[in-house]
Amino acid sequence: MSTAAQPRARRARLLVAALCLPGLGHSPASYAAADDTGRIAVLEQKLDESLRLIRELSARVHELEARTPEAGTAVAAASAGAAVAPANQPETAQRLAVVEQTVNQMVASSGQHGDDSGMPLHGFADVGIGNHNAAFSQYQGADVGSLDFFLTPRLGSRTRALFELNFEVGADSAVGVDLERAQIGYQVGDSTTVWVGRFHTPYGYYNTAFHHGQQIAISLRRPRFIEFEDHGGIMPAHTVGVWVTGSERIGDEKLTYDLYAGNGQRIVGGILDMNNAGNTHGSAIVGGNLGLLLGGSLDGLKIGLDAFQTRIEDQGQSPSYFTRVKSYGTYAAYDTDSWEGIAEFDVFNDQDLTGSTGAHSSDAGFIQLGYRGGRYTPYTRYERGAFQQADHFFAAQTNGSSYVRAALGLRFDLDLVSALKLELAQTRLTDRVIRSYDEILMQYAIRF
Amino acid sequence: MFASPVKLVLVALLCAGCAVARSADLYVICNSRVQLTSTDVRDLFLGEKQFAGALKLVPVDNSVAQTVFLEKVLKMNAAKYSTTWIKKAFRDGINPPLVMGSDIEAVAYVKRTPGACSYVTTPDGQDVVVISRL
Repeated sequence: MSTAAQPRARRARLLVAALCLPGLGHSPASYAAADDTGRIAVLEQKLDESLRLIRELSARVHELEARTPEAGTAVAAASAGAAVAPANQPETAQRLAVVEQTVNQMVASSGQHGDDSGMPLHGFADVGIGNHNAAFSQYQGADVGSLDFFLTPRLGSRTRALFELNFEVGADSAVGVDLERAQIGYQVGDSTTVWVGRFHTPYGYYNTAFHHGQQIAISLRRPRFIEFEDHGGIMPAHTVGVWVTGSERIGDEKLTYDLYAGNGQRIVGGILDMNNAGNTHGSAIVGGNLGLLLGGSLDGLKIGLDAFQTRIEDQGQSPSYFTRVKSYGTYAAYDTDSWEGIAEFDVFNDQDLTGSTGAHSSDAGFIQLGYRGGRYTPYTRYERGAFQQADHFFAAQTNGSSYVRAALGLRFDLDLVSALKLELAQTRLTDRVIRSYDEILMQYAIRF
Repeated sequence: MFASPVKLVLVALLCAGCAVARSADLYVICNSRVQLTSTDVRDLFLGEKQFAGALKLVPVDNSVAQTVFLEKVLKMNAAKYSTTWIKKAFRDGINPPLVMGSDIEAVAYVKRTPGACSYVTTPDGQDVVVISRL
């Protein structure tokens, strides 16, 4: 470069630095409030990177000036306050704007890069305090809810896998480990995925939208009748078998479907078991779910129908007692930035296959409404289960009694990944045992 | 006539103004092997559309432009977007989009990854296709 060009280059570098300074100054200032050593370290690293980038960009500007003397002249002239060729100014300004934008983007970069390591690991955990345990009402005080690990390895374009390993406290107050989900699937296309393994039985809306990760649910706990089997749920929340699922867009709407078949469940010690290893009597559960996601002004609303049939063996009897269980359900869910409303209703038409008690009809349902008002989400839920105690399927289950529960709660989001929940609830057991109890429950739930 | 430091500041402000004006525009870009239409963008970034023909799609978020993108295209805030993906991952076993920290990173990732799509404030016309301008 000629000696005449050196001052111009110096001025250009000064100009670039001047343009970058506000961006550099802004970034640390915006983060200064964060009292987080790790974050400061990251910011320092970003600053170093930004300075390095500035040096590189300065060198690039230098190089461009050497290649295009006219542009360099324009920059130099502008900075010197001399007469500027009007035709060159916009070009120079544009180039400098791009440089500035680039630097600012680098500075503003939060470093929030996704994990491309091939094995994403997610987790959920929750603990609680209350005058009753949220799942096992015989306990009170502080409780450990669950620690749930959730793995979705990246396996290629069409093979998918999902594993969920849950450490949770059971009715005996001991910590147990459950492989809640172990499913491997093949994605045929956008409209079809075939899963094999243990999965959430896709009845209704709640059972597949929410599971062990309580942090993602607005409410503190699941409705009682669709609780997990080992937490007193009276429906088969898990199935081991084959599940075909998918969706198809129809205009603004989307049709979703689920078809599944698997091992028929059994009752052991008053609790439903999903027969992980296969069953011994050849019974199967078969079911389906058809949903419609609405668009336009009803965006966020999903409605649907579901049904399943299975033959349940109660191994607590000798010989085993069999009941054919048929369930028909309907649901609606409305989920927007502000509102979350869910309603489900199920009817059970069961047939006694061993004894002579005949057919029995029962039903259960709940309605829940929550409003996301910033970090506070008040919610309310009403649920009811009316289970025929002459129906062996319900009579054989520890929590198969009819009940009514009303709850009022408040969720407070401490940040995106942790929430405090407070719930006041009243539960009335209405047939097997007549009693009522009030609950004041608090939960601290996180995800990571 | 203004003194040269004043001019310097004026030019800097002009450039900054240009940059701000330009940042209002967003461009959805994809790897040159991807064939999509603007109507697919929403489904793509919500994990509802995962294939373009036989090609597996790879949506990539760009933190610099994410707020505007979520507001303009997905009509949701960042918290809802995050929760939506957590639920999606929890149910369907698919992972949320990777997050790039700048246009440069997003463009570089899209260029080198078949099936990748992202959004940027400044489109780079080489080796990427612009699916839509917002």
